[in-house]
Amino acid sequence: MSIPKIVGIEQEYAIKIKGDENLSFFDASCTLVNAYARRLGLRNPKVNMLWDYGHETPYQDIRGDLFGKNTGQQIIGEKENRLINAGLPNGARLYTDHAHPEYSTPECLSARDAVACDKAGEIILREGLNLMKDILPFTSVTLYKNNTDQQGHSYGCHENYLMAAHAHEACLVSHPERALKTLIPFLVTRQIFAGSGKVGDSKRGNPGPPYQISQRADFMQNLFGLETMYARPLINTRREHHADPKRFRRLHLILGDANMCEFAGFLKLGSTQLVLQMLEDDFMDCDLTLKDPIKANKQISGNLGCVVELADGRKLTAVQIQQEFMAYAQKFRPTDPSSRVPDDDLILNCWSYVLDGLEQLKLSADMVIEDDPLLLSRRLDWVLKLWIMNRYREGQNCTWGHPLLTVLDLQYHNIDGKEGIFYRTQDQGFTEQLLTNDEIARFVHAAPDNTRAWFRGKCLEKFAEEMYLVNWEVVGFDQGDIYRMIPLLNPLKGTRGQYQEIFDQSRNARELIALLESGSMEQ
Amino acid sequence: MAEAQKFKQPTKKKPKKEDEGSTAPGELSSKKKKQLKVLDEFIEGVLQEAGEEFLDEFKQVEGQ
Repeated sequence: MSIPKIVGIEQEYAIKIKGDENLSFFDASCTLVNAYARRLGLRNPKVNMLWDYGHETPYQDIRGDLFGKNTGQQIIGEKENRLINAGLPNGARLYTDHAHPEYSTPECLSARDAVACDKAGEIILREGLNLMKDILPFTSVTLYKNNTDQQGHSYGCHENYLMAAHAHEACLVSHPERALKTLIPFLVTRQIFAGSGKVGDSKRGNPGPPYQISQRADFMQNLFGLETMYARPLINTRREHHADPKRFRRLHLILGDANMCEFAGFLKLGSTQLVLQMLEDDFMDCDLTLKDPIKANKQISGNLGCVVELADGRKLTAVQIQQEFMAYAQKFRPTDPSSRVPDDDLILNCWSYVLDGLEQLKLSADMVIEDDPLLLSRRLDWVLKLWIMNRYREGQNCTWGHPLLTVLDLQYHNIDGKEGIFYRTQDQGFTEQLLTNDEIARFVHAAPDNTRAWFRGKCLEKFAEEMYLVNWEVVGFDQGDIYRMIPLLNPLKGTRGQYQEIFDQSRNARELIALLESGSMEQ
Repeated sequence: MAEAQKFKQPTKKKPKKEDEGSTAPGELSSKKKKQLKVLDEFIEGVLQEAGEEFLDEFKQVEGQ
């Protein structure tokens, strides 16, 4: 039986430093993380919280030990731990991942909240950049929400979805052919609305299409696997569920692009929620197994209209494959009505709109938009970016090989509201916004009400000085002679509805724990 | 599904001439033309300031 599809995004930001050759990306990222954490009072000397890596097992594989790597757990000292991490009162995690800032949204029940939290992350990083100006007045640091540096490197916009343990096991471990028949063809083809667009190939100068739909397609090499930095898989098989593994599993997807357009991000997450729920309920009886999914991923990225070959010999376009999934989704109702994906009617409406729009979208051989009757350029990143590129090409009379087009590509993703090309385009009224500014701003400070993120966020807001550690599935308090841990093993529990009253009554963590123990915190 | 009402529902009608949403040449209001001009000038300024050397300065380290 399907369960609610809690979703979260991990966004790695590209970083550019000007004015200080000695400032490393790592140091700049840490400066940003700590500037923002300090602003929230989380670097007060009384706050000594650690990010708990105890549940992180990046080298364990859901398919068993034979697939994993025996390299042990990541161990870092407490000083470095505090330097790179900040758990935030909005339930999110802001941290330095290797050499760039990363923002992981809190767990969200709806795609709409997840997009709003992702956008709130941009505001938080912008605030961090502003605070850095006081610390490094002669240095300019800029952040870009994209997935490639055009020099052969890629960084992710990872998605995480909650799945029922039995369904996850059945579809991805014991019978992966179920994923091959449905989930993988869906993921490979959803780029036609979820892609962020890219000039050229993974590396400047490489031969390839002049403009691609997806930023990540060039970098995906396997169907399943543990890696995230090379030999990247469509589905990451890390056994790190951040929840009670007997009941819940995390589907970790690393093939997606970072979206600037709210509409594209909403449809990417919402349609994936619906397909996963149909997979859990075994609702889709189709077999859309692709003959070569990795090749198809690249083919579609380079040519919207191309046909890809299925294992049974059929040849279909990405739009046609998406239409099959949408048709199932239109008929689907989950076994448990309370598990229904929030805003499902709207997701279906947007999905149908976009597929009709893509059928009618006319591109010339030179990637000029000849007709876009449903105005996808206002809704999908790859079409919007293509429209901007073509305006520039036309104005400057330049071909696709012009290096400034690559600069334009990167500057589209600059998160600065005044300097970024996406944001300036939005300000001029050329995009369709789904969310209100208030909706986004709320998640800068507060966690979603309806997942465990609310409980975590409330602990960080009220009792940070008493906290010893935090991660996705536990909050720990230092009570002098003893550490008290509160497990958050059920991502659906720990909501405002359940615990607002207890937090209102608690003046400190001891009282919180006493009240929790006097009732029961069902997991 | 009351929440969904807060979203603007997409409709499948082709935009009329002078429609604010359109970006097609010949269908633009003078306001839109002005906005496009502002956007074009902005982009040109960004690219001029960044220059081609921006690309070499942008090299990233991959994340996990």
